[in-house]
Amino acid sequence: MTTAALGRTTRVVRLHLANPRTTIVLPALILGAIFVLTYAIWWLVSTNLDPSDAADASNGTQYSGAPGWIFFYMLVVAVQAMNLTFPLALGYGSTRRDFYLGSALTFVLLSAGWAIALTVLSALETLTGGWGIGMHMFTTIYFGGGENETWQRLVIFFCLMLFFFFTGAVFATVFVRWKATGLVAAFIAIGALLVGVIALVTYTRSWDAVGAFFLQAQALGTALWLLVPTAIAGVTGYLVLRHATPRS
Amino acid sequence: MTVVAEVQGLTKQFGKVHAVDDVSFTLTENRIYGLLGRNGAGKTTLMSLLTAQEFATRGTIRVFGENPVENAGVLARTAFIKESQRYPEDFRVKHVLSSAPWFFAGWDADFAAALVDDFRLPLDRRIKKLSRGQLSAVGVIVGLASRAPLTFFDEPYLGLDAVARQLFYDRLLTDYAEHPRTIVLSTHLIDEVSNLLEHVLVIDEGRILIDSDADTLRGAATTIAGTASAVDAFTRGREVLHRESIGGLASATVGALDAAGRRDASAAGLELAPVSLQQLIVRTTTSGEDLS
Repeated sequence: MTTAALGRTTRVVRLHLANPRTTIVLPALILGAIFVLTYAIWWLVSTNLDPSDAADASNGTQYSGAPGWIFFYMLVVAVQAMNLTFPLALGYGSTRRDFYLGSALTFVLLSAGWAIALTVLSALETLTGGWGIGMHMFTTIYFGGGENETWQRLVIFFCLMLFFFFTGAVFATVFVRWKATGLVAAFIAIGALLVGVIALVTYTRSWDAVGAFFLQAQALGTALWLLVPTAIAGVTGYLVLRHATPRS
Repeated sequence: MTVVAEVQGLTKQFGKVHAVDDVSFTLTENRIYGLLGRNGAGKTTLMSLLTAQEFATRGTIRVFGENPVENAGVLARTAFIKESQRYPEDFRVKHVLSSAPWFFAGWDADFAAALVDDFRLPLDRRIKKLSRGQLSAVGVIVGLASRAPLTFFDEPYLGLDAVARQLFYDRLLTDYAEHPRTIVLSTHLIDEVSNLLEHVLVIDEGRILIDSDADTLRGAATTIAGTASAVDAFTRGREVLHRESIGGLASATVGALDAAGRRDASAAGLELAPVSLQQLIVRTTTSGEDLS
């Protein structure tokens, strides 16, 4: 990539981050608020527990879904980036290609930044014995639980973030290009595909094998496998946006 | 004269609608073009095609000698903020002003700041909360301060009051004199901008009806008025664009008159009056007649 092409890509990154409120400040504030609320609830529970039940109860918080929203939040961020920033970038004289590459780079950077932040918080959680009260928020079972190595959690957070960004982006590009009709068609097609896969697994009586696969892959393996649909979404989004026109 | 944009047999169909219908014209360097036409005539579509925001159904477009589609080198030299431009959800005026310079090599920040003062734009207000006039002002400021070699203004006056509109025309002319470039201004407020325009393209139902130098066009038609019989006698054999009569009096708009024609008209006791650009265009686009 030439310097000029790199410049055209990075200015799109800057455009996405021109107002960091939506992508960084607001989610950080929400995360903080959820943390405080979760902490308050768990403090109430843990201080009123019979000490013999403490370990068991602490294990229960491993199933907390508290930080899950942040991934869906980033999916919406990606949708808005494709739907609303795209027309402005074209007005500024950007090509679709440069806009898409810049957007993809933005998603990778944001995924990395958020993965690092969440990993640091998870390390602190382990270090402080669950913030002093045996609570799980960043080391839940979905992120591989407390026994995982820190780097493993970093990979899991990063892959999950990428998956949600590019999934949001690909559906948004379908919407930009073909409007609601295209989106409905895409959902029907994907629904049909899923039903087909379920039918295939059922008829070949392979559910045990599927279960065994996920048990064996664990959170880390599953997160890495998510890179496959993420890559498909990334390439599809590019192909769809290449011929999209911004509608007012 | 250097050609900046050249369009040949350009057609854009949306389903069965021909938004732009077999259009050919050229834009030359350092001129102010008026793209005139009624609402829905195809003005925005035409500008979107030139900036590759839309894809042509048929025909060729050359901008700075090249196909503009996905052409970074060409598009970097264009600016086109649509009348219905959409902005990121959380953007405030200041975010537009901070991001635009990254995309326009010729961006003049001081000029942009002066324009913000001129239009009294609140920098901290969200784009979503701006009034129609303020939103137009944002587009005007980006278009002017970008100094893009090929700049499009899409009905830039919408919602602006008379003072702000005059301000825009004044700033445009002053800056254009210092930094010549090719400007395409789409509008249907023709009389207001007629002194600004050097060349006029009139589009109606997707077709170019007039493609002419503005000065030539200003003398392209004359209105004659007098008794109905004198008017009828004079217009016999001439092309009549428009005719009105009240009782025994009549007036008619006819094509350009030469010196002999003017003499004949005076001898017949007819009064001659120039036709404004706006009247001329209203008459051509309502009758659908081709004047060029």
